[in-house]
This record gives sequence, C-alpha cells and structure tokens, in this order.
Amino acid sequence: MTMQTQTHDSPAHAATANPGPLLEVRDLKTYFRTEAGISKAVDGVSFEVLPGEILGIVGESGSGKSVACLSVLRLIPDPPGYIAGGEIRYRGEPLLEKSYAQMRAIRGNEIAMIFQEPMTALNPVFTIGMQVMETLRRHQRLSRRAARERAVEMLDAVKIPDARKRMKDYPHQFSGGMLQRVMIAIALCCNPRLLIADEPTTALDVTTQSQILDLMLELKARRDDASILLVTHDLGVVAETCDRVVVMYGGKVQEVGSATRIFGQPRHPYTHGLLASLPSRHRKGDGPLYTIPGNVPSALDMPTGCKFCTRCDRVFDRCRLEEPPLHRLPDGSAVRCHLLEEEAR
Amino acid sequence: MQTKDPDQKAGGASTEGKKSLSLFQLRLRRFRRLKRGYYSFLLLLGLYILSFFLPFLMNNRALVVRYNGTYYFPALASYLHETFGYYERLGFFKDTVLSPQTFGIDSVLARTDYRKLQTDFAARGGDDFVLMPPIPYHPNEQFLDLGENPPNAPSRLHLMGTDDRGRDVFVRLAYGFRISMTFALIVTVISYLIGTLVGACLGYFGGWLDLIGLRLVEIWGAIPFLYTVIILCSLLEPSFLLLTLILSAFGWLGICYYIRGEFYREKSRDYVGAAIATGERDTTIIARYILPNALTPIIAFAPFAIVANILALVGLDFLGFGLPAPTPSWGELIGQGKANIREWHLVVFPLLVMFFTLQLVVFIGEAVREAFDPKVFSRLR
Amino acid sequence: MSTPALLEVRDVSVAYPIWGGIFRRRVGEGRAVDHVSFTLHKGETLGLVGESGCGKSTLAKTIIALLRHTVPGVRYEGQILFHRPDGSVVDLLALTPRQMRPMRSEIQMIFQDPFSSLNPRMTVAEIVEAPLRVRRVKGRRAIVRDLLARVGLDPDEQMGRYPHEFSGGQRQRIGIARALALRPELVIADEPVSALDVSVQSQVINLLVELQREFDLTLLFVAHDLSVVEYMSDRIAVMYLGRIVELGNADAVYQTPGHPYTQALVSSVPVPDPNVDRSNRIQIKGEIPTPLNRPTGCPFRTRCNIARPSCADTVPELEPTPTGQLVACLFPPGGQMERPPAEA
Repeated sequence: MTMQTQTHDSPAHAATANPGPLLEVRDLKTYFRTEAGISKAVDGVSFEVLPGEILGIVGESGSGKSVACLSVLRLIPDPPGYIAGGEIRYRGEPLLEKSYAQMRAIRGNEIAMIFQEPMTALNPVFTIGMQVMETLRRHQRLSRRAARERAVEMLDAVKIPDARKRMKDYPHQFSGGMLQRVMIAIALCCNPRLLIADEPTTALDVTTQSQILDLMLELKARRDDASILLVTHDLGVVAETCDRVVVMYGGKVQEVGSATRIFGQPRHPYTHGLLASLPSRHRKGDGPLYTIPGNVPSALDMPTGCKFCTRCDRVFDRCRLEEPPLHRLPDGSAVRCHLLEEEAR
Repeated sequence: MQTKDPDQKAGGASTEGKKSLSLFQLRLRRFRRLKRGYYSFLLLLGLYILSFFLPFLMNNRALVVRYNGTYYFPALASYLHETFGYYERLGFFKDTVLSPQTFGIDSVLARTDYRKLQTDFAARGGDDFVLMPPIPYHPNEQFLDLGENPPNAPSRLHLMGTDDRGRDVFVRLAYGFRISMTFALIVTVISYLIGTLVGACLGYFGGWLDLIGLRLVEIWGAIPFLYTVIILCSLLEPSFLLLTLILSAFGWLGICYYIRGEFYREKSRDYVGAAIATGERDTTIIARYILPNALTPIIAFAPFAIVANILALVGLDFLGFGLPAPTPSWGELIGQGKANIREWHLVVFPLLVMFFTLQLVVFIGEAVREAFDPKVFSRLR
Repeated sequence: MSTPALLEVRDVSVAYPIWGGIFRRRVGEGRAVDHVSFTLHKGETLGLVGESGCGKSTLAKTIIALLRHTVPGVRYEGQILFHRPDGSVVDLLALTPRQMRPMRSEIQMIFQDPFSSLNPRMTVAEIVEAPLRVRRVKGRRAIVRDLLARVGLDPDEQMGRYPHEFSGGQRQRIGIARALALRPELVIADEPVSALDVSVQSQVINLLVELQREFDLTLLFVAHDLSVVEYMSDRIAVMYLGRIVELGNADAVYQTPGHPYTQALVSSVPVPDPNVDRSNRIQIKGEIPTPLNRPTGCPFRTRCNIARPSCADTVPELEPTPTGQLVACLFPPGGQMERPPAEA
C-alpha cells in the first residue's frame, strides 16, 4: 500500500508536469422540465479534475452530484433534462459543442464511466466475454482473436479468478462485486484518461466494497496521469480514496478542498454537520448524535439565498436574502458561506 | 441516493398550502390536461347519453299529438315500455299502441302512421297537431315506396340512404351505436370483475390454489372462442344477454393474468408486509391495500378493451352469429356493404361511423395511458 | 443481563425450497438461516449484522411471520419463544396465521425501504391508524395525532397527505409511528436507516433511541452498517451464511472482534478520516458462497485467512473468548486485531 501515500501527494507533482486541468466544468446548469416547473438539478456548478488526481464529489440525494457527472458525458435524458448553460472542457476542448459522433468517440476512449448498478449496466443476454470484446473491437479495431486475448487480460487485471473460463458466463452467473469488476474492466479497456465512477460501490457489501476500492486505487496507481472522478454519498469512501473533495448541496458546490482539509477542518456548516452526524465519528456516551435539522429541500423550491439556510445552525439574515459566492481561501480551497468572507480577502 | 428521477421529486415537492391529492386525483388531473383524450371522452360521453334519448330523436312515433283537446305522448309511452317494459306484469308502462281510430281515422291498420297523421292534421287546419321527432323514422321501418328497389342511395329524406330492406341507414347506425357501446361497456365491466376477482385470489394466495387455478384458466383459454360462439349461437337463440355472457366468459382471461401478475409483484412490497404485521385480514389486504395499486395497468387498458369488444360484436354480427335479425347493428350493415359492394353508401357510412367511434375511444385510451403510466420518450445527446 | 428474556430464538433454521423438474417438485433446499440461537432481553437492543445474503432479514421476517405469506414452501425448524406481557410463553413458529394475529400488536416491524413500505393510496392518517383500526382501539384520531407529533411530523398540516408528498426521512418517521401505534413490546427494525441520506440518518437514529427509552421497547436492529449498529446496540450478533459467528457486547465486538470474519468486516468499513492508516486492513478474499453450495464444516473457511484443513470437518459452535463475547471459530485468532479506536 505504498501507492496510497503516493496518490496523496501526487497531484501537485502531476500538475507541474501538465499545467492545465484534465476536465474543467464551468458554471454548469442542468435543468429538468417537470409538471410542477423547472427543476434546477445542477445550478451553476464549477469544478476541475487535475491530471492524476482522484476527485470526490459528495452530496446527498438531490444534491445534483450524479446529474453533474452525467452532464460531462452528455448522458442526460432529453426530455425532460437539458443542459441550460455552462461550459465543459476536456483537455481544453469544449465538450458541449461536440457532435453526437464526436461525443461517442470520446465516451469510452477518453472518458469512461462506471455506474452504481452493475446488474443493469450489463446486457443480460450476452456473455461477459462478448461484452468486453465488443468494447475492445469497437474502440480499438482489434481482430477477434486479439480482442479475446486482450479481454482475458483485462478480466485478469481486475482479478476475476479463472478469467478465461468465465468469459463464457452470463451476467446473472456473477455476483454484484464481480460484475462491478467486469464494468471496471470494460471501462478501462481503452485506457481512458478520466474514469467517472458514479456510486460504484453503493450497491455492494462492505467487504466487497473495500475490495473494489482497492482495485480502483491499484489500477489508478499503474497510470500516473489518469484521473478518477468519484461520485458518492459515502464520506468514508471519499476519505479512503480521494485527494480532493467537492461537497455539493442543493445543486451547488458548497465546499472544495483537499481531503485532509475537508475531513480535518470542515469549514462549511453543511460539511461540518455531515461529518458530525456520522455515528462512526461519535463518541459513545456523548448523548445523542449531532443532527442537521429538517429535510433536503426539493429542487423545485430551493430557498432564494444560501441553499442551506433552511437547515443551517449558524444562519443569519443575510443568508436568507443573498446567496454567498464561493469564497476562495488562502490554502486553495473554496467555501460557499458568508461566514468566510473575511478570511477570503 | 439517486438523482436520476427528478420527476419523482417533483411529485414529492412540499406543496405548502395546496390541497393534498391522492394518486388517483393526480392522474385524473393529468388526464384532464390531455386535451385530445379529454375532449374525446366528453364527446363520446355526450353522444352515449344522447343515445338513450334516441326514441325522441329518431322515431316514427310522434312526440306529442293533440287531438280534440287531448294530448297524447306515443313516443314516451313506447320508450317507457321499451326501457322498463319488463315490469309490465306490475302494470307499469303498458305499450299503449294507439290505433288510427283514436285519432278519428278509419283504417284497418293497428298502428297509427303519425307522419301521415301530421300531414292530415296540417291539411285540415285547426288546433290539432302532431309533433314528430327530428328524424321521423324507426330503425326497423321499411321504406319501400322510394321509387326503386332498395337499397336506395342517399337523398334529402334519407341522408345516408336505405339498406337492402329499405331501412334508413343513418337511424340504424345511430341505434347501433347505442347497442355497440352498451354491449362493450357491459362486457368490459363483467370481464373486469371476474378477471380481477380470480386474478386477485390466484395472485394473493399463490401456492396450490395458483398452480391449479392457473391450469384451469389456461384450459379455459385454450377453448377456441369463435367455434364456441358459433356452436352456441346455432343451438340457442342469440340474444343480447347470451352474447354478453359468452364474450364476458372469454374476456376475463387477459385481465386475470394481468391482475395475478400485479398481485404477485405488489404483495412482495413492504407495505403489504406491514399490513400483515399489523394483523389485517386477508380480505382487507386484498381489497384495501393491493387492489387499488394493482388496478392501474388494467384501468389504462380499459378503453382498448372496449374497442376490442365493439369489434367483437361487429365481427359476430358481420358473420351472422350476432344479435337477432331486426336489431340495428353495425356488423350487419357492414355485411350488407360487402354484399352490395356497388352501393357506396352502404360501404362508406357504416365504416366511417365505426371508425369515428373507435378513434374517439382510442384517443381516450391514449390519454388514460399517458395519465396513468407516463413514459417520456427521451434520448441521450 | 438482569432483565428477563423477551424472545428466545432456539436452534432456528429456515430453508427455502428449490423447485425443479417438469412437475416443479422440491429438488433441494437452501438454508438461509442455519441453527441460530440467541436470547433477546427486555429493553435491550440487539444488533444483527451481516452482508447481503447472510440470512439476517430472513431471520427477522421469520420472527414476525412474514415469509409464510409471500414465499410458499419454506421449511422452518426450531423454536421462537416469545414471552408475552401477561406471562405466558408462545412458540411463534408453531402458530397458525390465525393464531399469530393476536401477537401482531406485541411485535411490530420498521421496514428498510421508506418508499415501498407505505401504501401509496392511503393518507398518512390512514396508514398510522391501520393497526389501531384492526384492534378496534377507541379514540384513534387523537392517538394518531400524538404519534405523528411524537415522531416529528406536524399532525395538522400533514395528516391528510399522501406518502408521495414526503421525503425519505419523513416517510421513515411515518413507518415508525405506525410500528409504535399499538405500543408493541418488540420492534424489529430491518435496516431502518440504510436507505436514508446521511443528514437524515442521524435524525432517525436519534429518534429511535429516544423512542426506545420512552416506550420501553426491545429492539432487534438489523443492519449492514457496522458503525450504525455499534451506536444503536447493546449487543451485536454477526451473521455469516445463515449462522451467527460472533455474539457479544457491542463494544467488545466492535473494538476487539474475535471471529476472523468480524475482523475483516470491521476493518472493511471505510473510515471518514483520510489520516487513518489503512495498511494493516484485513481483506477477505473471494465471494460469499450461496446457501446452496455451503462449505462443509465452518461456513467461513473458504474465505478465511487462517483456515486450517480441519476447519472442513466440524461446524464450530459459539464459544466464549477472553474478551467476553461468543465466537464460532475452531481456531480463534489469539492476538486481537489492533484497530485504533475511531474516536482516539
């Protein structure tokens, strides 16, 4: 596990080697038309993924984290969803201006994605081998034989025991953890620079989860400039894997910072509350768990000021009227909270 | 943990101050917003209600006759008799057929020809008068004095012409509409009731009951429908009641499968478990918990079942195994169109009317399905 | 355990049938729960932990007799003795559905999925009222009001609303109100917070803890999230492949796990702290076997790091360890796992 420490301080090193960010999302707005009006699932989100880093996006349901990531690959079902504005640049190239065919070339080759439900992401009527080979043949134009050999290699790499034999099996013959390994193998077929993982371990058991996370870290360590964008609601998973963290709430980025800073010294009241309400961080016998009061507001009736003002315990009048900007702090992180205005200057 | 269904959240929005709507009310509201289906529904409903007043709109009996200071209502009398005639023994609504002598006309006929009476009264002048329905023809009345042999082409008197026995096509189509719709509605309701009951029992109790019950249902479903109908209709006198029973007896199978599947799915959901855990009785769980949730797909399917039943009746009538002879029916008219293919009005009008009606029902069906089970056609781009 | 026993699970096995052949005959069976025994004392919270497929939910649903309604052909063995408040003892497994119905008011369940556990056609008031209506309790409206207020909902505003108008956390509160309506002795909570968001999860956990104290409840808390179980429970039972592999006080099981599986389970939980050293994490290899191809002897031996050949011969029974819990392992790892306490 030496690579663990390596990944933790590698972004700075990688960033000097290749100055620009790998993926740059600027002021992204993804809206959904619903019967009750326009639901602003993602409302002006900006973040960047540096080469070689693992960026975590954390948030609860309805925070817009998944929609933001699906928007990067333009996988928003339209209708009802549409990208209303903003900019997505991959290695400097604007993704939102690409044609459908150009997008298809980027998906899989340059940016790959793995999803929460490996059961539904694989086609049940084709064998695992066929599905891996299909990806290889489409993107890399390999011969049948070469594709088969490469597919076995890939399945070996994701530690599927007896890979050659299991090529002939169908998805239902695999367990959830094994299927997620297959999904990773398919995603990594073409050596993508960016892997977007949308809740990759949420449907799995803890012991399987830790196997999959270790696998992802290990594969990542093999390629120094590749990046992972990990979307999850599980703060533990983020802490274990990510270099930097983006905290989302109400369709907006609320806090960005290094993992050590976010977990060690959360600055946004929401981040602070999230961490404090975890039972694993609670000392037994300290009375009840810390709670954030209230419920996540619906994307249809977000408060006008700060999105968190209805549940914040440090709220004051200005919060309800005026949405705070994302204040940049001296240490490079950013927090969307009026309380940090002074410090940001 | 997912943001993939913003539609769901839209429903879950805290609608402060607004009245709370049940799922059914929400769907009803959505149905009302689908204009094409909703207006089709209103139009069809209006026409159907109107069709119950057909004896006052299209009839050869007068609405009102005033003769020698006395008022007579022949159409009302015959209408009440036709509609509630089965209470005759109780003395209600006798069909008071008024003979020509009533109105001082010397004739050997038992029934009065009100159209002739009208012209007579008018020619005679005075206070006596006859008020005829807007279209003064009866569906079974033959017009053989139109100059040529029937069928006659459309004319000013008979807008859609007459059929091969000289009966007015428009009037027969109108009366046929009432019969077709009533028939389809009754068959749909009966088959839904049987299908729901059987399907609910099979699906909820499962086990051996389901195993054996389903086999019986399958055997029943394997009986060839058309042969059975033909055999039964040649053995028994076909009547409205008999046809309703036969079609219902075969129509509930599909509903049964549907409901059984829905019950299987719904009963594994936690709210049913919660109901069992609170000690609810099986009958309560079936009727109050699962049934309202299981009905959605078959409600959305109902308009299409009505279309199918209308077509079934038309088909049987067309083949000659349907309603007995003088009954005005669409299938019989379409059959005449086939037999007299050169008489364009016998081909075009029955088909047009049927097409128009079925189209209305299909529009309603589309809207109901859209309201109950919305599917957005979306793609990734 | 000074308090008397409320529920004694004695040697319970649950076997699902496997149908096969043209006539759908029973060709075999899979044991989802395999000779499980434990005692639940009055007023305590027992956490039942394990991964998916370990039989924890099956066991919970067996106690409350829900499986008989939904899955035909399940075979049960053993006894589940329930000590009723009037002093009598009944074997829940031996009861017919009709005999079970009077017991229903004393044992209630909180379900995992707040979306499917409430009937979408009923208003909140009707949902919470249902158990009271079944028992023909008088003054139901007032009781429903009190319950809703107690679980943190606004009775005036929200009683007439339908479930689709609520968020996941609020729905779970409704489910809790329904479970408590008849003042049950025993509440089985089947993963009550695992479908909830982090910020709402702690609200519901706190609510459950408060209500347990207030209503003097005995809780069987089924979950896969160890940190939640550790927080909630007095004792923890760890299940693997239908068997309890470790049973003991929550602190002992969590801090000094005795069974190799528990050790792996505890160390697999991701810790929300990037500075924790993860190098000495215990990984388990392979996949959980299905109940159909259950290994002989110790069920865990196929994935165990310290398995020996003799593990295939005998099924280990629960034996006490020096740290005070019961562990089903033939060769319990002597040195306890050096896991730094999370709060240190």
